[in-house]
Amino acid sequence: MKNLLYKEFKLAAHPTTYLFLILSTMMLIPNYPGYVAFMYVCLSMFFIFLGGRENKDIYYTALLPVRKRDIVKARCLMIATIELVQIALAAPMAVLANHLYHDAGNLAGIDLNVALFGSVFLFFAVFNITFLPIFYRSAYKVGIALLYGGIAILIYYIAAEMLVWMPSPISTFLDSLNPDDMIKQLPILFSGMLIWVVTTILAYQKAAANFEKVDL
Amino acid sequence: MEILSVQNLSKHYEKFDLKDVSFTLEEGYIMGFIGRNGAGKTTTLKSMTRLVHPDSGRVNMFGLDFATNELQCKQKIGFMLGGVDFYPKKKLGTIAAVTSRFYSQWDDTEYQRCLDRFELDPEKKIDELSAGMRVKFSLTLALSHQARLLILDEPTSGLDPVSRDELLLLFQNLIEDGEHSILFSTQIISDLEKCADFITYIKDGTIIAKTDKDSFLGAYRLVSGSVDQLNAGLKSKVIGLREHKFGFEGMIPTADLPVASSLKVTAADLEDIMIHIERE
Repeated sequence: MKNLLYKEFKLAAHPTTYLFLILSTMMLIPNYPGYVAFMYVCLSMFFIFLGGRENKDIYYTALLPVRKRDIVKARCLMIATIELVQIALAAPMAVLANHLYHDAGNLAGIDLNVALFGSVFLFFAVFNITFLPIFYRSAYKVGIALLYGGIAILIYYIAAEMLVWMPSPISTFLDSLNPDDMIKQLPILFSGMLIWVVTTILAYQKAAANFEKVDL
Repeated sequence: MEILSVQNLSKHYEKFDLKDVSFTLEEGYIMGFIGRNGAGKTTTLKSMTRLVHPDSGRVNMFGLDFATNELQCKQKIGFMLGGVDFYPKKKLGTIAAVTSRFYSQWDDTEYQRCLDRFELDPEKKIDELSAGMRVKFSLTLALSHQARLLILDEPTSGLDPVSRDELLLLFQNLIEDGEHSILFSTQIISDLEKCADFITYIKDGTIIAKTDKDSFLGAYRLVSGSVDQLNAGLKSKVIGLREHKFGFEGMIPTADLPVASSLKVTAADLEDIMIHIERE
């Protein structure tokens, strides 16, 4: 697995993989939707898969002495790593942004708070469970995978923002930078993390099962 | 020792069937796998290595069942599928560095030796290599991990005659140690004349001949004659019969040659044999 992961980052990683990680700095844009930086990560994943197809990565890898399942596992681990790095980079940016703007909040969606990051884990979970199994049904139809993955995260994004904007008992503490409210938001962060882990494992298992059936 | 044994490999597609493909290859020999475009050569090679899932059949490599010992078998094979065209913008050295990590028997000295022998520059990118050099790079990777069986899908396609000749000579050099074996598919018949020890011929998904080259060549003769000489008995035996106003020409199994006839009989080369069989 270590060797396959090395191959993923040495050969398969597209330059945008690293470039889009810098877009974590978008958290510093005042009154800007907090999800946008993370949408770019999904786009960079699309580029990795697209690049893989153009470079015949699947054929190169499938001829190596590796299991087909492990090819998928390495790619899923790579994706999960990128998502975690993006979150890890965005979090201090969010803290910095709140500091710079004196906790003025975000008029273009949820504040850059703990709940947002919990929600971002869910956002990635939705993308992974949609994009990965669909791509590995054919191992080349990356556009279709992005279409479904894109629709799924768009629906999730709209639903998540509506939950914040529509008046309800939870919306009051969701869209807040108040420390007391952020403590209330912690369960969202932890459940988001847990759901992301479980969903990404499920996405890998479904994707690997799909890929096993593919004739290359 | 039998290095490869393929038994009753079958694969059904909507518009094509690979039917009970069986053949064996002994250690230290070159087998040419021939057939027209779409005859099932690549499907056979892919099914053998489980890139495609065969519906039935069994493949043994180095005495091991491939399906249950896939990783072990893959450590000892070099498989080139239609030229090296993966990661064309990456340097040879980068690809070799990544590839080497997967093989327990990777030998850096052998890798360097191959680079020198084939005059490959590790700083060059794949797409800076000519088609012939790409095949050589593929062989470099295979030889560096000490592959004993090379499975090459149309390695000579797209090469100029000089590069092709050079490559075929290289194939012969490789098997001289008696430890390497090569199975290569081709539709360029002269390749086989130059270097194959055995020939396996596939037509419409079915193996129609598997034998050593000389037996294959000896099994057929070209015949031609006048219209009067083409009686019903002869007509049924002639393969790829072509009639014209002066007579006929075709190919006949040597065993079916009429005794003491006045037909014009000449030796058939591999290209003649393939053309006449495919005319059927």
